[in-house]
Amino acid sequence: MRGFADDEDNKGPLLGRRVSPGIKIVAIAIVSVVLMMVDNAHDALAPVRGTLAIALQPVQIAAEMPGDVADYLGRYFNRGELIEDNEALNRRVLLLRARLQRLAALEAENERIRALLASASSLDQNVLIARVLSVTPDPYRHRIKLNKGSSDGVFKGQALIDANGIMGQVTDVTPLDSRAILITDANHGIPVEINRTGLQTIAQGTGRSDELRLPFLANNADVQSGDLLVSSGLGGRYPAGYPVGRVEHVDHKPGDEFLDVVAEPTAHLNRGREVLLVWTSDTARKADQPPADESAAGDADDAGATENRANGADAGSDAR
Amino acid sequence: MIINHHVSGLMLLFTLGMGLLLTLLPLPEALAAARPAFYPATVLFWVLMQPLRFGLIAAWVCGILIDVLYGTPFAEHGLALAVAAYLVVQMRELLWSFPLWQQSLLMTPAIVAYEFVLFWIDGVAGAEVNQWWRWLPVLTTLLIWPFWAFLLERIAEFEVG
Repeated sequence: MRGFADDEDNKGPLLGRRVSPGIKIVAIAIVSVVLMMVDNAHDALAPVRGTLAIALQPVQIAAEMPGDVADYLGRYFNRGELIEDNEALNRRVLLLRARLQRLAALEAENERIRALLASASSLDQNVLIARVLSVTPDPYRHRIKLNKGSSDGVFKGQALIDANGIMGQVTDVTPLDSRAILITDANHGIPVEINRTGLQTIAQGTGRSDELRLPFLANNADVQSGDLLVSSGLGGRYPAGYPVGRVEHVDHKPGDEFLDVVAEPTAHLNRGREVLLVWTSDTARKADQPPADESAAGDADDAGATENRANGADAGSDAR
Repeated sequence: MIINHHVSGLMLLFTLGMGLLLTLLPLPEALAAARPAFYPATVLFWVLMQPLRFGLIAAWVCGILIDVLYGTPFAEHGLALAVAAYLVVQMRELLWSFPLWQQSLLMTPAIVAYEFVLFWIDGVAGAEVNQWWRWLPVLTTLLIWPFWAFLLERIAEFEVG
């Protein structure tokens, strides 16, 4: 780009009313690169972004309107479907509750055994339901915006799950909303372990919403298609033990040092409007806000928005 | 032709808002990858048609708005749009002399440059997605250019008469 500056000399004086486009584009390029580097390294540009984002809010709302209207109309016209859904959900709740009773006992037992082993208890976790406000329209970035912010105790780096597994983590928090990156973003990696063997590795996003890659498995690693990947909790960002993906296929390339392993995320990343924000026992302290009580109080009005795993937590404290 | 008229700032804002809206409209993933770059096309249209009012700096600022909305590195889309606008400025006289539907071909370098700068910066930033469909918007943008430019021209003419 720097070469463009050469053809500036035949287009009038530099300080005239019109600066030649060659000079302009070089200046713009330099400023842009500096801005990108600054943006990458610091939060210095956050206020500028914030101000512009507020100014652009009307456009954003307008862009989401057709979808919202369709949603609303859909709800209006699908009463029969809703009733059916409701019944199915009720049955499911019953089933899950029954299972949860057993889980509470198991959790308590686990807690006791952990106490015997003198290891930190890790099971009491709280969750908060957040709504997905928008998905970035850039098809090559998997980011979402959530309707909970720092006033709800959300913090940077917090893990995000849905009913089926880990979705991603929070990257930016403002008082009223937050942005999160999904595990399938090409810029994201999550430490996982293969549930069957306990083998540790890293699952990287690929930029496709149905694909994760495990690039660091040696050619002789024990991994087969169908293996469940769970979060290992290494690195401290994600709570351990949640499903992340399922290995889809393993490609042995003779002569290569690493396997080509592709997995499919278990979480429904591009469906669903609701996600769960997770507080583990140690992140709750880091966020210096006990989310169990505070968020429960704050959200008492939208009924059931906060579910702390009451059974698990109680059982845990009993055990201690 | 709209080049000889002074289009009001309000009209510019209106059309840019329209382009932005079409860029933000949620689409299924498969379609989103092929979504024509309506907003950049709008910006480049004004760079072409309002040379005295809408230059590289304006294009750059317009691009930064996308960065804010997309959450991409600050000024990434700004730089990409400014580079595309630079090419349009260089080819202005040539572009003016062709009818809309032939402009599409001449716009190719500008649109390719726009997508390439984005691809390049993503690569440097480690968020590279190197798939063939990454280049689909080039094709779709060139396909919609005559229609989009025609529409913008009619809208602007509605004001200047």
